Amino acid sequence: MDTFITPFSSNSFMLNALLAGVLVSIACGIIGTYIVLRGLAFIGDALAHGVLPGIAMALLLGFPGMLGAAVGALVMIGGISLITRRTRLSSDTAIGLLFVGMLALGVVIVSRSSSFSGDLVRVLFGEILGINPGALMIQLAATVIILVTVIICARPFLMLCFSPEQAQVAGFNATLYHNIMLALIALTVITSFQTVGTLLVFGMLLAPAGAGALVARRVQTMMIWAAGFGSLSVYVGLLISYYFDLAAGASIVLVATLIFFMVFFLRSRPKSTFGSPQIG
Amino acid sequence: MRKAIYITLIIALLIAACQPTSPSAQPGKKTIVVTYSIIGALVKDMVGDQANVVVLIPNGQDPHEWEPSAKDIETLMKADLVVQNGLGLEGGLQKTLTQAAAAGVRTFVASDYITVRKVGQGEGIPNAGSDQNVGASDPHLWTDPLSMKQVVAALADQIKVDLGFDVSMRTQDLESQLDSLNSEITTQVATLPEANRKLVTGHESLGYFADRYGFTLVGAIIPSLTSQAEVTAADMAALKTLIQENQVKAIFFEVGTPKSISDAIGRETGVKVVELATHILPSDGSYFTFMRDLAQTIVENLR
Repeated sequence: MDTFITPFSSNSFMLNALLAGVLVSIACGIIGTYIVLRGLAFIGDALAHGVLPGIAMALLLGFPGMLGAAVGALVMIGGISLITRRTRLSSDTAIGLLFVGMLALGVVIVSRSSSFSGDLVRVLFGEILGINPGALMIQLAATVIILVTVIICARPFLMLCFSPEQAQVAGFNATLYHNIMLALIALTVITSFQTVGTLLVFGMLLAPAGAGALVARRVQTMMIWAAGFGSLSVYVGLLISYYFDLAAGASIVLVATLIFFMVFFLRSRPKSTFGSPQIG
Repeated sequence: MRKAIYITLIIALLIAACQPTSPSAQPGKKTIVVTYSIIGALVKDMVGDQANVVVLIPNGQDPHEWEPSAKDIETLMKADLVVQNGLGLEGGLQKTLTQAAAAGVRTFVASDYITVRKVGQGEGIPNAGSDQNVGASDPHLWTDPLSMKQVVAALADQIKVDLGFDVSMRTQDLESQLDSLNSEITTQVATLPEANRKLVTGHESLGYFADRYGFTLVGAIIPSLTSQAEVTAADMAALKTLIQENQVKAIFFEVGTPKSISDAIGRETGVKVVELATHILPSDGSYFTFMRDLAQTIVENLR
């Protein structure tokens, strides 16, 4: 039993990493479920990378990285909606375009600044082993905000998932709630860049939620499963990093992906497509 | 019409923003391109105004990680002599350096002229994997003034052969300065109790310094000769134990060390975390100030 508890009880950096990881998992479980159900994976991925130039600029100018990430996310979402509204181009094209553009801008800023090097890898992969109590509080606040917003918007969000037209008929402003959902995805990505990193957060958004969607039928149950799978991945991933000397962030996401495939092989049923009207 | 004006304006701004920022070489003189700023400082002292000295990797950038732009590659290809550290320090530049050597650009590799230090048994963190191979060559040769003395002497010879001018007067002066720097640091370190001469650094950057002045390398936050490796929970737990067992007085973090990880280990062990310039020249651009600051920070914080 000691093998599974001692690393956390005798090292506060392990305990902090576990706490932060569980908070990230709860946020990602909730938001990830919507991403999986609504097929928003691409915009999630784009946000995760698109915030990079914002973070780079902020670190360069001495602002908190999170502020820069928020600006980056705003530019990203604003740009996507501008292109899709003004042209006949699909949102895929807009997302893809801004995604590579922002990523390239981030790399250019990082490579030409003299003050921070090596930070690029850390922004992408996070520093879950270096979590300080302050960062833990920020993550807690973000998770609570996400939880409360989702409880308030539960009904319109559910309709967005399964029949956006009906949402409009029922008197909900579909665009408004879509934007709120995007903001929540952005919030998840922004706060996570100091824990699991912007690249790996994407794995935490998709893998546990995907597994949860295979196990459960109701949205709330999916979220609970997803948060559980995510937390388990964090715990097992940290243990692997501790005993087998592997990078912590990557281990966690690897475990999450493995869990997804285990669930997939155990539960795979022919009828598991989402977004089609017969499910609800 | 208005759109066209905007577009022209944007293009004009872009062109203005792209003006070369690297120091341009004066015509007529030979150009020595040095990859790394700390060695560059000594080369500047050596040649004075007899040649243009261009340092490629900006001071403060992590040399392990830095990658050249197209402009930098041009500078390198047109150099009359390229001075590099060697032993893989210039990780991101390696391909370009090989390319330049193949194209016939004359190069001087500093590590060819010193006694190269190998990573020893029991140094750093046990079982840290391939990043910590016993027997790997350590590129951080500038932290030992006497190694730099050998480099300077060898470089003076090559400048005479390749570029055809004599820097022996200035070089002799520089060598005696390096000797007195060495005795200065030796005296300073002597004031530190031997039990306190234990180093924990961001990555393994102080091997030559430790060998010269009798310090023990206890461990590194990133147990690797480069600053590039990822941190694992196993390494952190091992480092924590090492710091406590050895009663290390301070943890030094440097360019490229993850600050949050250093702080976490500091919180965990109750040991102070101090910034140490191992890869950055001070504002006066002098190697001697650099080494004095380095030694002083170490001695003060381990007392």
